[in-house]
Formats: sequence, structure tokens, C-alpha cells
Amino acid sequence: MAAAALGTALVLAACDTGEDVDVDQDGSGAENGATDEDGDAAPVQGTFVAAISGEPDQFDPHVTSAYASFQVLENVYDTLVVPDDEGEFQPSLATEWTTSDDGLTWTFTLRDDVVFHDGSEFDADDVLYSFNRIIDEELANAYRFASVDEITAPDAQTVEITLTEPTPALLDNVGGFKGMAIIPEGAADEYDLATEGAGTGPFAMGSPGASGISLTAFEDHWGGPPSVDQVEFRYISEATTALTSLRTGEVHWTDNIPPQDIESLQSEDGIEVGVSPSVDYWYLALNQDVEPWDQLEARQAVAYGINREQIVDVTQFGAATVNQTAIPEDNFWYHDYAPFDHDPDQARDLLDSAGVEEGQSLGIMVVQDTEGVQAAQVMEANLADIGISVQIEQEPSSTWLDRQAEGEFDAFMWSWLGNLDPFGFYHAQHYSEGGFNAQGYNNPEVDDLLEQAASETGQDARKALYDQAAEMIVDDVSYLYLYNPDVVQAWAEGVEGYEIRPDRAINFENVTVAE
Amino acid sequence: MSGYVLRRLLQSLVVLIGVSILVFAIIHLVPGDPIRQALGTRATEAAYQALRARSGLDDPLLVQYFNWIGSALTGDLGVSFRSGRPVTALILERIPATLSLAVAAIVVALLIAVPLGTISALKPRSPVDWFATVSSQAGLSIPDFWMGIMFILIFAGTLGWLPSGGYVGLTEDPVEWARHLVMPAVTAGVASGSILTRFVRSSVLEALGQDYVRTARAKGMRARDVLTWHVLRNALVPLVTVGGVQLAYLLSGVVIVEIVFAWPGLGQMALQAVEARDYSLLQGAVLLFAVIFLLVNLVVDLLYAKLDPRISYQGAAR
Repeated sequence: MAAAALGTALVLAACDTGEDVDVDQDGSGAENGATDEDGDAAPVQGTFVAAISGEPDQFDPHVTSAYASFQVLENVYDTLVVPDDEGEFQPSLATEWTTSDDGLTWTFTLRDDVVFHDGSEFDADDVLYSFNRIIDEELANAYRFASVDEITAPDAQTVEITLTEPTPALLDNVGGFKGMAIIPEGAADEYDLATEGAGTGPFAMGSPGASGISLTAFEDHWGGPPSVDQVEFRYISEATTALTSLRTGEVHWTDNIPPQDIESLQSEDGIEVGVSPSVDYWYLALNQDVEPWDQLEARQAVAYGINREQIVDVTQFGAATVNQTAIPEDNFWYHDYAPFDHDPDQARDLLDSAGVEEGQSLGIMVVQDTEGVQAAQVMEANLADIGISVQIEQEPSSTWLDRQAEGEFDAFMWSWLGNLDPFGFYHAQHYSEGGFNAQGYNNPEVDDLLEQAASETGQDARKALYDQAAEMIVDDVSYLYLYNPDVVQAWAEGVEGYEIRPDRAINFENVTVAE
Repeated sequence: MSGYVLRRLLQSLVVLIGVSILVFAIIHLVPGDPIRQALGTRATEAAYQALRARSGLDDPLLVQYFNWIGSALTGDLGVSFRSGRPVTALILERIPATLSLAVAAIVVALLIAVPLGTISALKPRSPVDWFATVSSQAGLSIPDFWMGIMFILIFAGTLGWLPSGGYVGLTEDPVEWARHLVMPAVTAGVASGSILTRFVRSSVLEALGQDYVRTARAKGMRARDVLTWHVLRNALVPLVTVGGVQLAYLLSGVVIVEIVFAWPGLGQMALQAVEARDYSLLQGAVLLFAVIFLLVNLVVDLLYAKLDPRISYQGAAR
């Protein structure tokens, strides 16, 4: 089956942030800063307050698939390895790892100085327990272990993963995001993980409330205690409220920034805006089981017919980069390939040769209240110029997912978030039997390249294979890649030690607030 | 009287059973699979089947219904699929915020409606009456999200008098509770107040035209006493009816106001439950809203008898 990057979670979250409406907070006035759970006023430099636009559904890292949950969990749990801001994997709970010559056995050496928030000591059995929980209970991320044959613990500080085929994406699979968190042995029985935390991360989780959740510094954290005493997450779904809270000092940080406000915020005193390219992408997929989109020319006509620059301007106010492939420049996996310029004449010629008549209808299915809606509106205007009549079909995400799974669409718009390893953003999507190949793409050559790339252990050779596959995917218009949105976050002046990451992971371990 | 209450409660129970069947049926008819929604897009078919089996959604609908209603009778509304937490806990957690907002909003509404409606009825076609009509029209027409955002920008942003949003428990910090409550309560209260103003005006006008008012005036009663004892008291009955409906509406959550002010009320919870197709949470919420409406209606009916001695439930009991 498929395996992947930040995956599941974050993808769904793409629509969640748009429509997941919610609440806030727990206590504080503008001038005395935050109030902790008991209502005692905490000194402002001790508590970092973050307003997030979504609301976590629950806090079991192995179960949730909501981005808002992972914004919190990122600070509570650790994984064996962790991606840095270049997407390269660095040691975390594992200090080092080796791969056998045949690529089938990975050996991880674990840190020996790690304790969980509940005081128990971390060792190899906890890793076994965590991974086996995901595999045995067939939880959402079980697919990440598709090529895993066995996980063993030769000693307390060593974990050995045996594979059925070489899996160069294994580090991403076990450490790409906190959905692969290590929990203490027996934790699922001992705790209600939906509401209780049991991690090794810099902060311990307080009890969740309807309006937010507080995290407390974990003094015994293996990386040293974090720089603030508390992090308080508040759920504020209305951007005006979040931004006013930021201006008045009620919160220190927010990700709730409408693209149209970026420019005016940047010129405001007291607020810093971070705009940074992300590894997410938005795309359009045409159903290749439906006429006339089963014809290559018809799909390519759409590719020539749409105006990506316009889409980016309208939906993102420029806070995005057009791209005809998945991954943005600066990334190791970037491949410079852009065969489709906006060219309505070319598009019309292609439609003619495909025998598509003037006024051909095309339903574009989008999740309601997301940026996809505006993008679809631009496409509607673009495609009208080449004689395609677009109907925008807005659906709530649950219905969207149903229709997508059942193949009941002409085309859909969607995004993949947190893409780290190409295995995660090519296989499930473009392999003929891929789990997310809803568009029905089937190209034996691409299958072959993707199979080779999945087990190719040489990084450069692997990239060459993926580049080849990417060109075919683009040429065949399996996905019509549109753009990579920027990560946009804002924080109060004086906040230090925070870094925007291209995978949107939010880590407050080293953050400080000036008085 | 107690016989009447008992009968009403029994009737309510029948209504609730009807509501529970309707809610259950409608929710399951609405397209959208909660399992897919929970797992996202990258999960495998095996993971999908595993979660589906665990969720009990594969059971026949009738079995699911009786399982749910059976435990609901013991106060257990099931477990929210989305959060993994008991529905009862999720609802209880939001009741303080919802109650605070609803009660404060209805107080705001009455503070607007009673004086404004009464004065404009006493002086029909005067500038005061004109002002009352125009402002209640405006209060009804201004969208609450816009009003809320304006309040935030002015009173939190520019003036810095009040917090931008959020909720603090009354027991945690009464002062902060009140400060956080002001803007949402006024926003929600203005719309209700505008509706109520019109009712107050027309029922006061009607009472003013009654024979007993003319008689009271004729026998030389002071104008203020006539207003208090004869006019307002009689005008209260329709006001209580409409006010009761407004209160029940506020208690079942004012979604827009809750969203704008990041207020953790029941409305937002129900909205999220709809979006996530969180069946048990939504069923629990709708059942609760039905209970609120039934109870408020019962209280309103009982208040009639208190307000107006001519209304008696003794006769009806026979």
C-alpha cells in the first residue's frame, strides 16, 4: 500500500482550517496576559499564548488526523527522528541509525536519557508498543508500515525494523510527523489518550477545554526544559478576533491570517509577519474514467486553458508560488518542469482534436469554504474562454470524501500538505493501484518508475527516477498541479526563538517573549 | 396544578421520543461518511473497515437506535466519534458558557425592549416612537457577525477596554467572566431586543386601550400606577411568550456570535458535529435543544397563571 509524508492528517486539515469552526480560550485580560488553568495569573514572560484557527478533534496522536491537533501534539510528543526545516531527518529519540547492505534491516539506537511525562523511562519496548499499536489496531497511519515485516528490540536501547523490500522513505514513515509519536508501553490502557497526554516532548499536556488547552513545561525533557513555563493554545476561528487579540497582546502568535490581510499586517508596528514557502501543493484532478476527460488531449486542453498566475493572485493575494510539479524550488526533490503555458488557442486546438464540443460541461468538486472555491471560480472564467462550461460543486468535506472515494466527479480540487518524501506524494496518488488514485491514472511506465524509486536506496538515483515519473505525471495530466501556498503566521514583536517550517509543524520549545 | 405539570411532562416525553427518532433518521440519511471524515484520505481500506467495525456503524439502524436511546435513558449519550470523549461531558463542559451568554443576552434584550417599547407605546407617533421603530428595525437588519466584528475592532482593538474574545468561567474569575461576556451578550441581545421591542410596544398599546385602563384613569389613579398595575402587568403575558422563545433560541446556541467571539458554546459544538458527521454528539445536542424548548415552554405556560389570575390550569385538569 501507500506510505507517505505528513499525510492524511494534514490533508484533511486543509479543508478543516477553512470550515472547522471554533471557539476559544480560557482566561486572561489584555494586560495581565494569560491565566493558567487554575485561574492564577502567570507572569506574561512565562506563558506563550497561541491562537490557532482550527480546533483539535482529539489528542491521541495515533488516531487523530486533524492538523489543529498536531499543532498541539507537536509540542507534547517525540518521534524517533524528526524533519529539520530542509526536510532532512535528524536524530530525536533515536540518536543514530544504520541500514543493512540489502536495505532490508534498519537499526535505530535510542537515547538512554529520556523519560516520559508520567515519569516512566523510555526504552525500545515503548517503540515496539507504539508501532505495534498502529499496526495491530489498523489505525489511520498503519499504511506507513506497509513494507515492515517485523519490529524487534535486541536490547533496551536498540530497535530493529525488518522490511519486505527496501524502503528509503522509512525515516519519513516513522518520523515525518507526530502521528508516529512514541507513547509509553501500555499507555492506551492506562490513559485516555484522546484527552490525556503521555509523551516525551518539551511540554506536558493539561486537560483539554472547549476553548483551548494549556501545556506545561516538562522540566525533565531530554533536550532540556523549554524556554517558557507554559504554552496556551486558544481556538479562535474568526480572523478579526485572532488578529485583534494579537494587536492587543492577548495572544503572542497566530496562524489565522486571511491572505488579503498580509500586506497591511506587514506594515503594522508591533507585529511580525512570517511568510515562507511551504511544501504543500494544490492541484486539480480530472476523472480519467469519465468522458471526455479520459482523453489526454482534453486534459491537456484544461492544462493550457487555466491561468495559474491569476489563481494565485485571486486566492492567495500572491502568497503562493505557481508550480507545474508537486514540490517547490529550494527543495531537494524539486524538478524544473513546466510544459503548460496559459494558451487558450492551443487549448482550443486540443479540444477540437479530442472531438470535444463547445459548451462541454465540467463539474469541479471543491470543499466548501476553502481557498479551493476561489480557485475554481478563476478556472471557471479561464475555461469559459475555451468553451468549457464549469460548474462549481461545493461540498462539505464528508460528502466530498464520499464522492471522491466513489469516483462520482468530473474533477476535484484538493491539496497535499507537509510533503517530505516523494514516496508520500507520488505513490498513493499516481500508482495505478494507489490508494488515493481517485482520478484513475494508469500508466505502466509510471508504475514501473515508481516501483523502482520506492526501493532505490541511492538518493540521487532515486531523485532521477522520480523526476522521470514526475514529467509523465505532468504530461499525462494525472494531477494538474497549481501552486505551493506560503505558510503565513504572525507573532508579536519581541517573540524570539520561533521558526516557520515548510511542513507547518509548530514548535514552541525555544520560544521566548520579551517583556 | 401539579396534575397539569405531570401531564405536560408526559407529553414532553412523547415529543422527545419523536424528536429522537427524527434526529436519528435524518442524521443517518444525510450523505457523508463519518469514518472517511475521521481517517482522512491516506488511510487504507483495512484501516477504514477496522474503524467502521469498531464504531458500531455496521449494525442495523434499528439496533443502533435502540442501543443509543437505551443508554440515553440512563444519561449516557454515547461517545463522540470525533473527539473520543463522552457526549455528556462535552455538553456539560459547554453549558456554563452557553448559560452565561443566553441569560446575559436576554437581560440585554429586556433592558432594551421594555423601556423602549413602553415609551413608544405611551407616545405613539412621537419622535421616541419613531426612534424605537427605526432602531429596532436596524437591530434586526444588522448582521450579528458584522456587529460583533465592529465591537471587537472598536472596544477591544481601538479602545482596549474589553478582551477580543474567549470565555472565562464565572467561578474562575468573576471580573474577567463579565468582561468577556459584555460584547457577545450585547451582540446577541440586540437582535432579540429588537424583536421584543415590537411586542412590548404592541401589547402595551393594546392594554392601554382596554376598558379597565379607562376605568382606572377615570377613578383618578395616578398615571404611573395605571401603567405599572394595569398596563404592564397585562402586557407581560405576550412578552413572556416571545421572551421565552428568544431565551430557548439563545440557549441552543448562537452560532455566529459564538464563532466571532471564540465563545465555547453549544451552537459551535453542534455545528462541528454536523460537519464531522459526529452522529452521537449531534444526536445528543439536538435532544438537549428539544428538552430546552419543551422546558422553557412549560415554564412560560406556568408563568401565565402567576401573571394573570384569570388563567388557571385547575379547570383544564378536569
